[in-house]
Amino acid sequence: MKHEMLLGALLPMTALVAPAYSADYLTVEQAQRQFFPNASQFVDSTLDLDDDQRDQIKERAGTRQRRDNQRVWRAEQEGKNLGWMFVDDVIGKHEFITYALAVSPAGEVLGVEILSYRETHGGEVREASWRDQFNGKTLDDTIRLGKDVSNISGATLSCRNVTDGVRRLLNIWDLYLKHA
Amino acid sequence: MPDSQAVGQGAQTKRMRPLLGTFVEIAAGAVKTAAGAVEATAADRGTRAEAAIQSAFDAIANIHALASFQQADSELSRLNASPGQWLPVSRHTLRLLRLARAMTAASDHLFNCTLGGAVIARGALPDHGGDYLKIGCADDIELEAGRARLARPVRITLDGIAKGYAVDCAIAALKCAGVSSGWINAGGDLRVFGDMALPVSQRRVDGSTRSLGALQNAALATSCAGGGVDADVPGLILGPETADADSAAGIGKPATFSVISRFAWRADALTKVAALAPASERAERVARLGGLLIEE
Repeated sequence: MKHEMLLGALLPMTALVAPAYSADYLTVEQAQRQFFPNASQFVDSTLDLDDDQRDQIKERAGTRQRRDNQRVWRAEQEGKNLGWMFVDDVIGKHEFITYALAVSPAGEVLGVEILSYRETHGGEVREASWRDQFNGKTLDDTIRLGKDVSNISGATLSCRNVTDGVRRLLNIWDLYLKHA
Repeated sequence: MPDSQAVGQGAQTKRMRPLLGTFVEIAAGAVKTAAGAVEATAADRGTRAEAAIQSAFDAIANIHALASFQQADSELSRLNASPGQWLPVSRHTLRLLRLARAMTAASDHLFNCTLGGAVIARGALPDHGGDYLKIGCADDIELEAGRARLARPVRITLDGIAKGYAVDCAIAALKCAGVSSGWINAGGDLRVFGDMALPVSQRRVDGSTRSLGALQNAALATSCAGGGVDADVPGLILGPETADADSAAGIGKPATFSVISRFAWRADALTKVAALAPASERAERVARLGGLLIEE
């Protein structure tokens, strides 16, 4: 009984925690090390893109370049170019994603890693579903709920937004980094 | 006994990559050495966990390359392109076809891996050429050791089962690499193993979520049926009646079905059985085929 009372008192507070699924997988530095373990330095080569350049990217890639600066690093080993790593973000139906794309000096994709993933609700949070979260939880569990975020099983979300993003970044590589 | 709290929070390596047309998340807890002892240093543990996760992603990419309907050069596409001919197929493709055929028969064709033609006709899968039947039956697939043949020009699609199967293969890869606990979530096809209980939520049609509790040593899959073709949520479930119809009406009001089972391939396939069975038979049919239905 005592627990139930305490739970009731805690509900308004915990309801402030966004129930979205969110996870951080790698920092920019960790992704750089993973893709280019032999690199001695990563040279910030961020591209500033004017309107004409962004139009050209959209024309070639088929998707809009939202940002007017595109984050990218050149991986070097004693002055030798090992490749490039882009960091970019895309927005899907339910998700907001930051990802890294590694490209070889010849323009081949070396890998894609999601750096962080945030899934948000499309609709209102139903009160009943909130209460379900507390079923079977002890008071100690309840206090941790903010961190203890559930994995989500739902209808499969397409990764098309990332696939389109990769194509856009490969076009940027072709236009501005191929001969850099 | 391992500290499940530590496994659940601290000592865990987690990665996500775009694969299988969706986002695949793989998490690994403690990694055992050959001698069975848990690695001492955090750096060693991290490296071993990363290598294990890489092998799990490789296992998924391998299944994708073999069983993709979209890719014209996959083993599945080659089989679909050559009805009437025996073709050599790999161990995984053979096993997938065997499981899909068995589930097709056992579910009275509610799950039906031969309706690729109907999905092509809806524009939800690519047409790689040639004439095809919209839908067939389990007997259209003939299997022998190391080879497969389609008796009629049906188009086999393993989309209802291969994602779950890929998760099972990737879990096997994690275990093989010495990972003692972990989970994989391939766009909603989820499986967890070892000494951890993973809190899971179901995302419903309207985008809201509800907690389903914690999953331990089990698989969970969720499908949404009805509502037609949506580029962001590409799953399309066609039943025996709707597969033949040209209307895009789908199978009625959109609804979400989750199924818990021991293996991810089975949970994946049974969500389709749940979506297509009459409401009054749903839970019982799923239970008879080895799953536990969670309705919206």
